[in-house]
Amino acid sequence: MRRSYLFIALTASTALALTGCGRDSGGSGGEAAPTTGAAVATEGVSGSLDVWAMGAEGEKLPDLVKEFTADHPDIKVNVTAVPWDSAHDKFVNSITAGTTPDVAMVGTTWMGEFAGMDALDPTPGTIDTSKFFEGGHNTTVVDGTSYGVPWYVETRMVYYRTDVLNDAGVEEVPTDQDAFKDMAASLQDTKDVKWGISLQPGQTGSWQTVLPFAWSRGASIADDNGWTFDTPEMVKAVDYYGSFFADKIADPNPPQGQTEADFVSGKVPMFVSGPWMRTIVEDFAKQNKGDDSFAERYDVAPIPSADGAESSSFIGGSNLAVFKNTESRDAAWTLVDWLTQPDTQVKWFELTTDLPSVQSAWEDPKLSSDEKLAKFGTALQTAQAPPSFSTWEQVAEAFDGEIEKVAKQGLSGADAMEATQSQAESIGTGQ
Amino acid sequence: MAAPTTTPPSQQGRGKHKATSSRSSRPPGAVREERAGWILTLPFLLLFLVFTAWPVVQSVFFSFTDIHNRDLRTPFAVNFVAFDQYTKAFADPQFQHAAFNTAYFVVVGVPLTMAIALAAAVVLNSGISKFRSVFRLGFYTPVITSIVAVAVVWRFLLNPESGLVNTVLAWVGIDGPNWLGSTTWAMPSLIAMATWRNFGTAMIIFLAGLQAVPIMLHEAAAIDGANAWQRFVNVTLPILRPTILFVSVTTAIGYLQFFEEPFVMTQGGPLDSTLSASMYTYQQFSFGNYGYAAALSYLIFVVIVIVTVVQFRFLSERED
Amino acid sequence: MTRETSFRSRWWLYLLLTIALIVVITPFVWMVLGSVKTNAELRQVPPTWLPEHPTLDNYTSLFSRLSFGRYFFNSTLVAVVVTASNLIFCSMVGYALVMLNFRGKKVIFGLIIGTLMIPGVVTFVPLFVLVANLGLVDTLPGLFLPFLVAPFGVFLMRQFIMSLPRDLVEAARIDGAGELAIFGRVILPLLGPAMATLGILTFLGSWNNFLWPLVVAQTENTYTLPVALALVSTGQNQTEYGLLMAGATVVVLPVLIVFLLFQKRFIQGIATTGMK
Repeated sequence: MRRSYLFIALTASTALALTGCGRDSGGSGGEAAPTTGAAVATEGVSGSLDVWAMGAEGEKLPDLVKEFTADHPDIKVNVTAVPWDSAHDKFVNSITAGTTPDVAMVGTTWMGEFAGMDALDPTPGTIDTSKFFEGGHNTTVVDGTSYGVPWYVETRMVYYRTDVLNDAGVEEVPTDQDAFKDMAASLQDTKDVKWGISLQPGQTGSWQTVLPFAWSRGASIADDNGWTFDTPEMVKAVDYYGSFFADKIADPNPPQGQTEADFVSGKVPMFVSGPWMRTIVEDFAKQNKGDDSFAERYDVAPIPSADGAESSSFIGGSNLAVFKNTESRDAAWTLVDWLTQPDTQVKWFELTTDLPSVQSAWEDPKLSSDEKLAKFGTALQTAQAPPSFSTWEQVAEAFDGEIEKVAKQGLSGADAMEATQSQAESIGTGQ
Repeated sequence: MAAPTTTPPSQQGRGKHKATSSRSSRPPGAVREERAGWILTLPFLLLFLVFTAWPVVQSVFFSFTDIHNRDLRTPFAVNFVAFDQYTKAFADPQFQHAAFNTAYFVVVGVPLTMAIALAAAVVLNSGISKFRSVFRLGFYTPVITSIVAVAVVWRFLLNPESGLVNTVLAWVGIDGPNWLGSTTWAMPSLIAMATWRNFGTAMIIFLAGLQAVPIMLHEAAAIDGANAWQRFVNVTLPILRPTILFVSVTTAIGYLQFFEEPFVMTQGGPLDSTLSASMYTYQQFSFGNYGYAAALSYLIFVVIVIVTVVQFRFLSERED
Repeated sequence: MTRETSFRSRWWLYLLLTIALIVVITPFVWMVLGSVKTNAELRQVPPTWLPEHPTLDNYTSLFSRLSFGRYFFNSTLVAVVVTASNLIFCSMVGYALVMLNFRGKKVIFGLIIGTLMIPGVVTFVPLFVLVANLGLVDTLPGLFLPFLVAPFGVFLMRQFIMSLPRDLVEAARIDGAGELAIFGRVILPLLGPAMATLGILTFLGSWNNFLWPLVVAQTENTYTLPVALALVSTGQNQTEYGLLMAGATVVVLPVLIVFLLFQKRFIQGIATTGMK
């Protein structure tokens, strides 16, 4: 046995000896000046496109693409549906081995990483980027260069039970953070209510709930020089978030997957989430309680703000990007351009309920006639995203871990943000 | 199953005679054995070298560099950092925590899983005579049940308010804990779950091993007045030894890399109390820190080697 | 088989086993029952055991949304090829490692055990790059080639062959049989239980393999069942539990069938162990 390790060690060291070269300075991506992609032709284009899309989008996209190929008979489009689980790994491996598709749906938080791997094609100047929600467009920008377009968007709002609030004598949801917290606490005096609000007590993805509260009081986690977790504004925001748990307004150990059940039963009459929860809570009420009119018993409100800042939520969704090693660049951007036309976006909304990233699509009666949806549309205008640094996912993990200590162990905002800042600085921005 | 029973192709003997003549002490038939040995292992070796050894060599090389996923297309244009990644790992408090959790899981989980599997195998093999295949199949179902279904069911069994476990405890007047939400109880819950999920695999390997125990020996021992326990210790265990070694080594290797249970049940929480070393390594891979993740992997590897060597030392039979 | 034990004196053992069986199969039963429940019912708190409104919608939507035949074929082909090649090659190597003396034997065994101990995730990327360079991305060979031999299988076979009596081999040698003939005619027939075990474990591993097929299969033509199931059952924001349970149930069936088929080999294996 021992001999075999020796053999492995020997081969490895030989391999090392043969590769006496190091990193060239500035060899990695992200050093270039901001650029705009070369213009693309959209007329008389031909080619064959491989497109990857995740989840429901991957399943529904072929139907939509049929209309595109009817208009562009010379472009062949082959859509592959990719499961969300480990989709990220699939992309990274494909980039490494040079087996990427031509066009793909890309998670907004992956843009920095893929652009850093020099895999994405800069957005051509022929695409008008001013038509998108600003927060959505910003997720495509890495180091000053845009590498794609927002395809659909979502944002987080406060869901609340109108009937429970009425019973507790609340007229409307306060827009001020302190008043909002008092209101949540007051709900617990009514009979069936156990917790005032459901908030994620740290762990993966909790930043999507914490940051909207922080942004809405003027705090931010990064500026041009890097991370700014330990600023007084951030510390105050985290203390505010933690006080919900310290004051026993939110459950620090909520059982998994019970949000909609507790919301429908009235046990926890408020939570913060995205537009997809509408169908989930309404279906749940219909199928388990036989309640067909639950839609009238709840509403959504913007994230409350403080210190004179405007309410600003987190903008999520997915982008469309073209990969650098495509052999049909013109055709690829033609498809992307077509997918972000207002009328295509409305059709897509009907197919998938994905919210349009193009602002003018929201004027269509199919969207503007729905009051709750319109509130999401308003919130989207001020929503923002975390910085597009390639290391964001890793920093977010550190942040989520500290938030968990705040929620479950009562760690102070100052200590939590100091720890996050030092971890974030050692991880860097990847640029 | 077609077995190769033909005589070996003639080109196999090349250069072998010279080698054997230099070692005159070899018994006759040694050349034959040598040739047969190589013929039998050759297909395996070729596949093994291409698809296993080569990627391993590359990944060992990664662990001595600062390679990141954006460098993967130019893997040689990276800095050689010697043991920096390894020293970083030793100083990483989260990894230390994860290593401790993993040790806890292995030390409790491996013996527990093996004891239950062996007991089940022995009872099914000689304790009962009816419904054997029903029990055998039943005990194997956790292995083939989708982890997601398993996670959902276990989550509601362990639910602090409405869960079956705490309901039963309440009958005898015990106020059950919040199993998955408590830093004390989350890991024991996962150990129970992993044992439940994995003992079926160990059980069928033990059952196969028990087939090699001749009944005649048992009968002879019974005539000599040995009771069931004595027969188990003196007849069954010695013959089962290679199988026990195998199960013990592979279970330990599997448990040292445990990942799925915390991943679906607790995401490593609460407060990292169920974060495992493998899970932490996997996270580093997805963050793109290949050099660091490779170094973490080889640290886990070194621990596995040590644990395995110890097991071989104590459980192996002498090879002749 | 074993000495006939009287059913009556062992009733307590049966009781114990039955209780254990109920505990053990509960989640499996819940999975099957869950596959005929609605999503809303699956999200209910506290959960229900028996479906309130049993429905086959999950199954119909599963079969209508997926080109099941194609994925089923891919999964089966890969699992069968991987299992067959592991059974042949691993038993050959196991025999050579135990019954034959040849130079390099210890090194080979060391290598096998050594790679068995390397965490799988670390070689994933180099392996994918290798397969891509061989031009095997998005092909069925790309799905099975890296798994044709597994260190685990060799180790299992070696340990099992170790517990076989060596005299069988020695006797055949004295009769003048060639080594390969001894392996084929004397040892192989005794490997029933070990082959059955390795067959079940290898088949199961290949059948449930998710990450590799996900990365290697670039189009849906080469997707396998686990990849396709992940496609319909997990969204970015919510999981369709009903579909997932139905999918998991469908995927488990072939494994159960394989298990039942191979179970018989256990029993045959013992019948041929003549001389003991």
